Amino acid sequence: MLSKARPSRLPSPLLSLYGLLVVGLPLAGLAYALLGSVGLAGPLAAGFTGRYWQALGTDTGLLYAALFSGWVAVASVGISIALALLLVLRAQPTLRRWPLPGLLYVPLLLPALVVGFYLFQLLSRTGWLARLCFQLGLIQGPEGFPELVQDAAGLGIIGAQVLLTFPFFTLLFRAIYQESRLEEYRQLTLTLGASPGQFRRRVAGPLLLRRAAPTLLLSFMATLGAYDIPLLLGRPYPQMLSVYLATRLQRFDLRELPAAYLAGFLVALGLLGLVAVLLRLRRQTAVR
Amino acid sequence: MSELLTVAHLSKQFGTQPVLRDISFSLSPGEVLAVLGRSGCGKTTLLKILAGLEAPDAGTLLAQGQDLGPVPPNERQMVYLYQEPLLFPHLSVFENVAFGLRIRHVVKAEIDRQVHELLAELDLSAHARKAPDHLSGGQRQRVSFGRALIIRPRLLLLDEPFGNLDAQTRADMQQLFLRVSRQHQITSLFVTHDSREALTVGTRFGYLDQGQLTCFPSVTEFVQDARTAVRQELAFWESIQQTLPASASTS
Repeated sequence: MLSKARPSRLPSPLLSLYGLLVVGLPLAGLAYALLGSVGLAGPLAAGFTGRYWQALGTDTGLLYAALFSGWVAVASVGISIALALLLVLRAQPTLRRWPLPGLLYVPLLLPALVVGFYLFQLLSRTGWLARLCFQLGLIQGPEGFPELVQDAAGLGIIGAQVLLTFPFFTLLFRAIYQESRLEEYRQLTLTLGASPGQFRRRVAGPLLLRRAAPTLLLSFMATLGAYDIPLLLGRPYPQMLSVYLATRLQRFDLRELPAAYLAGFLVALGLLGLVAVLLRLRRQTAVR
Repeated sequence: MSELLTVAHLSKQFGTQPVLRDISFSLSPGEVLAVLGRSGCGKTTLLKILAGLEAPDAGTLLAQGQDLGPVPPNERQMVYLYQEPLLFPHLSVFENVAFGLRIRHVVKAEIDRQVHELLAELDLSAHARKAPDHLSGGQRQRVSFGRALIIRPRLLLLDEPFGNLDAQTRADMQQLFLRVSRQHQITSLFVTHDSREALTVGTRFGYLDQGQLTCFPSVTEFVQDARTAVRQELAFWESIQQTLPASASTS
């Protein structure tokens, strides 16, 4: 008698190892950071102390880094979503016309570091654009060129993140548009009396955002924790969270480590909390 | 002029392939024209042209004397219903039905009243707060029907709307369609490939084949026409009945 073909299973030791790598070790790292922040772990641990937590009240560096990162992530993801929705909902013929479909893939192939370097060369006060403006007589010197990279508002970082993210969102929205049969929804809503604008606002936009929400959230988290681009295109102050943490962890003074552990612990906790809240919101939306 | 819709010499081709050839018919208010046709006979193209979603190559469409040619689909008051209910997945049953009123900026109290009334009529009141993916196939089709009815369309265009339902639900939906369309005096063009469904829902009958529409003056002529295969089906059921034992056939 022939036996039924059974689906192959990952050997349990391999599965356990994978679980340890993706859940166990990060949790252990989180616990170590927590212990380090209260003086119970680390190279200079000298017993329990709450002084690093108390110092949070006077040290505004972490708060500013978190606010700055939040602003950059919200602006980058927001602009990318708006651009992608605009292309998918208002320029379908353009999206299908050569060479745009191919060009959309190009930024996805570029490492973040390369994009950061390219934008630095293009947009800095001594970059190509500034030199061109100088040659054309539009500015009298580097100071006349607007600060587009390493600026206080993080415009350079936002620009680079948008350049990397919006093509991905466009491809994602386009795939969802086709998979969700939005063309048929468009025709249906038109016969129900909706204008093309009402279809975009009341049906297509919410439907695309709802289906793409987990990916958009992941992208938001990735931008929040971006390192290469903020390092190249950001200022020493305010810094984005990843650069702020790296700077504090790499200081020579080992006595600063507990404060860096504390910052890392709080950032990780914040991100986990964000994921939990948004997953809950998404479940509620699905049930409603 | 008593005709609600007059279609004259309508033709359409895609590339070199003719899809509709010189189609002419008219519909009076409250009539249900059941059009029987097999896959690829041009029925979806015909409905989309009437809805304004496709442009004809030739011919005229008049609604109560008004030329529909320049009228965009969202101003025609002709709702096109697909085989799939296509409910908006991000909206509840209530909001799906209310959609047509919301886009027309009807006041909230009036929306509440009309939607609750229609949901009760369609036996959906208990499901008003549910998401579409929590409904059965028949319930979804009823919501889709309610979403179309609430705007009081002058013509309903139904493209095999019950084609994906099981036999019992399909029969229930046909009865519901009959009841509601009579009650609301809905004029519709109902396309199906099922002769029994056509006979159940139609008040007038047509047969579409290779882009040519034949409208029958009476149900007898529709049944008699060999192309509709109604007589073949009747003969089949009669032969089945003859093979059954007497007790089974009487019971």
